[in-house]
Amino acid sequence: MESKTKSPPKLTRRNYSKIIRPIFGILVLGYILWRLYEVLIVQQAYSIEIWLRLLIAGLIIGGVYALIAIGYTLVYGILFMINFAHGEVMMIGTFAGYFLFEVTKGINVASAGNPPLSFSDAYPLISVILAFIVGMTVAAAAGFFLEKIAYRPLRKAPRLIPLISAIGASFFLQNAAQLLFSPQVRDYTNPAAIARGSGWTLIINDSRVVITYTGVLTFVLSILLMIGLYLMVQKTKLGKAMRAVASDKNTAALMGIDVDAIVSRTFIISGALAGAAGVMWGLHNGLVHFFVGFLPGIKAFTAAVLGGIGNIPGAMLGGMFLGLVESLGPTALGISYQLKDVIAFVIMIVILIFRPSGILGEVLSEEKV
Amino acid sequence: MKTRRILIVAFLLVLLLSACGPAAEEPAVVEPSGVDTTALCEGDDFGCAVIAPGQTIKIGMGSPMTGGNAAFGIDAEQSGLIAVEDAGEFMGFQFELIAEDDGGTPEGGAAVANKFAADPTIVGVAGHLFSGATFAALPIYEEIGIPMLSPSATNPDLTRQGSRVFNRVPFTDEAQGAAAAEYMYNELGFRKIAFLHDGQDYGKGLAEIAAATFESLGGEVVALMGLTPGEADYSPVLSTIAADSPDALYLGGYTQEGVVLTNNMKTSGLEDVVFFGCDGTFGVDFLSRTGANGEGTYHATPRTPPETPEKDAFDAAYTTRWGQAPGELSPFTWNSYDTTTMLIKMVQEVAVMGSDGSLYIPRGALVDAVRGLANYVGISGTYTCAPVGDCNIEGPTFWIVEGGEFVAVN
Amino acid sequence: MNKDIIRTSSRKGLLFGIVLIFLVLINFHIMASTMISKLLGTNVLRGAFPEVRFMIIFLVIYGLWAGWSAVSRENKTTTKLLEGLISGITTGIVIVLFGLILFFLLETQTDVRRYLTALSFVSINIFLLGLRGAGVPVLFGLFTLTGLLGGALAIGLRSKTVSNFKHSIKAFVSNVRQSITSALPEFVTKYGKYMIYLVLLALLLLLPSRWGSYNNFVFGMVGLYVILGIGLNIMLGLSGQFMIGIAALFAMGAYSVALLNSPFPHGLMWGFWPSLVVGVVMAVIGGLLLGLPIMRLRGDYLGIVTLGFGEIIRILLNSDLLTDLTGGPRGIQNIQQPTFLGRPFNDVSYAYLIIVAMAVSIFLYYRLEKSRTGRAWLSIKEDTLVARATGVDVQKYKLLALCIGAAFAGLAGGIFAARNQFTGPNDHTLMVSINVLSVVIVGGLNSIPGIILGSFALRGLPELLRELETYRLLVFGALLVFMMLVRPDGLWPSSRPNLEEKGSSDLKEDIDPDLEGRGND
Repeated sequence: MESKTKSPPKLTRRNYSKIIRPIFGILVLGYILWRLYEVLIVQQAYSIEIWLRLLIAGLIIGGVYALIAIGYTLVYGILFMINFAHGEVMMIGTFAGYFLFEVTKGINVASAGNPPLSFSDAYPLISVILAFIVGMTVAAAAGFFLEKIAYRPLRKAPRLIPLISAIGASFFLQNAAQLLFSPQVRDYTNPAAIARGSGWTLIINDSRVVITYTGVLTFVLSILLMIGLYLMVQKTKLGKAMRAVASDKNTAALMGIDVDAIVSRTFIISGALAGAAGVMWGLHNGLVHFFVGFLPGIKAFTAAVLGGIGNIPGAMLGGMFLGLVESLGPTALGISYQLKDVIAFVIMIVILIFRPSGILGEVLSEEKV
Repeated sequence: MKTRRILIVAFLLVLLLSACGPAAEEPAVVEPSGVDTTALCEGDDFGCAVIAPGQTIKIGMGSPMTGGNAAFGIDAEQSGLIAVEDAGEFMGFQFELIAEDDGGTPEGGAAVANKFAADPTIVGVAGHLFSGATFAALPIYEEIGIPMLSPSATNPDLTRQGSRVFNRVPFTDEAQGAAAAEYMYNELGFRKIAFLHDGQDYGKGLAEIAAATFESLGGEVVALMGLTPGEADYSPVLSTIAADSPDALYLGGYTQEGVVLTNNMKTSGLEDVVFFGCDGTFGVDFLSRTGANGEGTYHATPRTPPETPEKDAFDAAYTTRWGQAPGELSPFTWNSYDTTTMLIKMVQEVAVMGSDGSLYIPRGALVDAVRGLANYVGISGTYTCAPVGDCNIEGPTFWIVEGGEFVAVN
Repeated sequence: MNKDIIRTSSRKGLLFGIVLIFLVLINFHIMASTMISKLLGTNVLRGAFPEVRFMIIFLVIYGLWAGWSAVSRENKTTTKLLEGLISGITTGIVIVLFGLILFFLLETQTDVRRYLTALSFVSINIFLLGLRGAGVPVLFGLFTLTGLLGGALAIGLRSKTVSNFKHSIKAFVSNVRQSITSALPEFVTKYGKYMIYLVLLALLLLLPSRWGSYNNFVFGMVGLYVILGIGLNIMLGLSGQFMIGIAALFAMGAYSVALLNSPFPHGLMWGFWPSLVVGVVMAVIGGLLLGLPIMRLRGDYLGIVTLGFGEIIRILLNSDLLTDLTGGPRGIQNIQQPTFLGRPFNDVSYAYLIIVAMAVSIFLYYRLEKSRTGRAWLSIKEDTLVARATGVDVQKYKLLALCIGAAFAGLAGGIFAARNQFTGPNDHTLMVSINVLSVVIVGGLNSIPGIILGSFALRGLPELLRELETYRLLVFGALLVFMMLVRPDGLWPSSRPNLEEKGSSDLKEDIDPDLEGRGND
């Protein structure tokens, strides 16, 4: 690094941010510490089981955010564009999983004389695996075509242009889903074995803490997928090619890497991850409708930036962090739940003020500098 | 380079011209030869809407048909279309429902209202659905005398500002909130309740009034807080509330939040706490999406049990026409049918056939007729409009879910 | 060679077939035939179905297009026919398969609307041309025939002779134009541009009182977005700061005017003009408060922070915390109307007010761009390091850009709130910020005509598309993508050459030296 030689010349007369930044940061940190002290030490209103429940909820939603955030980060790392329609890719995955469960629920596998038994109840593992395969495949296909139609022709355009194209694609996909499937909010029909709300029950302080099966599935699977992705990017030939394209497209092309193919594959991978997140979302939260991708999309984008956009471990960390802040933040600070996004955004701003390129920094693009 | 610019200027001009296209379309004004219609229209405060032969009598509707709240708007349009079909022909004229997308925002509401105001054959508006959009649209209708009959805008201020044209059929928040609090305190014997709302004007008003009443009765309000609407997991909020171990959880909001809360309550340490909803959570959709979790929850509807043959006929027609059960998209299906039908009925009452074959609808008389609605029996209840425009002044009926069905409890 | 032709044209046909299936699944075929029916003079009531003959017209046009687009320019006449035919047959085969499924659904009376909401029996039957099962082979025949015809049309209209002919016509037209312009007296050629401006100005002055309140409303909305767009362009286009939270500054202007001019919640009645000034000042303060702590951020980090700022302001306006101050989710009603020389405002006066505000904004923008400040901004945008080295106070100018941009946003917000007589949190959502961003980029960065065109495209177009009912935003989204693909530099790009390198490497350009220097902090 040449940080010494590039340090800012001392020509500036007044450096406002040098003064304002720490003041702002200290104010916010002071407020947070004061509230934490109030809630945790003075009031002690919440006992351990409540914190445990909040932690569980935060980890689960954090896993989903992290998976979607990786999609943003992968695409950003390679094309430097914000794939605004990524939330919609997740929505498509959620719908695909929904339809698979509707089909497997409709197949009766009971032998004659027995009460009807649907395929998904009889073979929950197979149907869940099928749902993930279908959800990930369909979402991957959506990502692939999205790139091919809306982004590839704009590869050489200034960076903001693909962003607008992505916004247009996002409008289109949302409205297409609304017109195809009606704006109705639907329920996932989970296999009976992993019905929503069922799970292992712990008794702490005479109070039940339920660790839901779907929650465990979501968390474990998202961690596994993230590890898998990380290994793929670090160890396989494709991952190596992706990193090469990320750091310099022209040189990569000269080295015989098919840049277009790598970009396509990146979109396929990020789509598949979003699809998996979508199916998890459906299984755990049960809701599926055309607008389901919008909020998680924005949140995951925030998470990706928080962790350092373009940085895969950063996206995982950012997602988990955002999930935990959303879940624990309002309670720990004693603030209304209505303001949980405010808390999340303020903490994000403070972090970015002190670490302007995210918690872990931009690994992929720093390689270029 | 140059030609491109010229082309772009031309494009701009075309846009401008096409934008002024609709205004150029003058109403087919036919001089009324019959003396009665001339006198009628001149005597009216807002003049007449003249429907020439071959035109339709248009009822407008402003609702969010795209974006996150699209389900409300699509549902209202679908029931309104059935109302128009049921109305049939009137003196050789067809009714037509013009549902426009206002996105539920004030900006959209004003756009739609201006569009309707520019069309001389729009005589009434069955909307708008959202209070914000209604506020922005109201002054425009007020000016030219288009009566409004909203199926769902519940903001109490709407009927407090002395509007002549605005009427609505849903509850006001005051009536329902107070009744719910009294019911929970007196009949169910709850003493500690957490009040939640969805942070929108309807739910917030309701929850605040219910909480205030409950407190004045001597109950303890353990929480009064807003949620972020549209989320899929509220277990963190519920876990926090569980620390205060309330007897019940009151929600001012819609089915979407109600379903998520009811399902989340089972895993958040609130499994023995009663969920008490409102008219926004009542509906078949709540039952199908909560299943066993929904057992024992309370809900409210306006007044007497709405099981009439007319309602059954409507339900059947809705299901056949749209392939969905009424109430699946939003709780306002029946209200929307009623508001559209009421407007149509009132138009039929005041319209006069001119001697030239056109239909004359005195706007001022129509405004007054809608305000003067009395004992109208619709599929969602019986309506009498108060002088301020609240057409539903009866007390609520509370319902409990038992065995997967709603059972009236009072 | 032949195989190649078969592959490419059947792929084209397949694409057209799949798109048609999608259109049928969202019921767009009904919408399209309704539009055709209205164009041909037969009105169709809302919610009613058009006659089958209009469906046939729609399918014929679609089939011709499928055949036409499969034809490649270079090939021989017979090959072209073949290409059209193959494309038509492929589309036909796809549609036959789809039609058979539809027919099966119709025969067994299977209602799939629980999943595919648009697929009602009536709509299926109209697609099958009202012939039920017999419609399937008829559709096949239709697509084969129209594919062939499309190919034939393409021979006539897309051949070399035609394109030569086109060129000669173009040359002829430009010759004629040249001769006309040279024949014209000098003052016309010299001042012709200004005459066009004069005509436009006259139109602007005349139209608002003529074209009715709805057009005034749409025009006003476009005008307000022009002002917002200019504000954003100062931040984004001139000084290179990626801002997605302009809705917050817009809200500051709107809420200032609303709160100072309504009976509830504060009962203040300051009048419109002073509160508009307060609104602008509040927005500037907002810009300052936002700008001070985040000066060091750049690129997308700045974007997400400003997005967060916008959301924070919206949530706070809506929250229980500030309900007493801002009216909460109920918003602020009954905003007092401004008066000018004792006369209250109506829609026409608002249109003029917006024209004046727009003119002032454009004037100020040009003055700023040409000034020392504007050059400083551009230098910061092009290369912060060099700008700093040449003595530009980067932080000051960046803040200044934020504040001046915010002032425009506040101005637009103030007028917006007064004009609607109501404002609430739903007027200031993320979508507003995204729309303004799109206005600036769709139109073309740093180009005022571009921003005006962009506002028309983004705010005027959805209103013009109202005829399309629920398909409005679907078509709008597709058009947005299409516009970007066709004109990636914006509808009317700035004439100033874009010094920034295009493509991936431009990220390097806007790396703030602060970032590398963070070790020194």
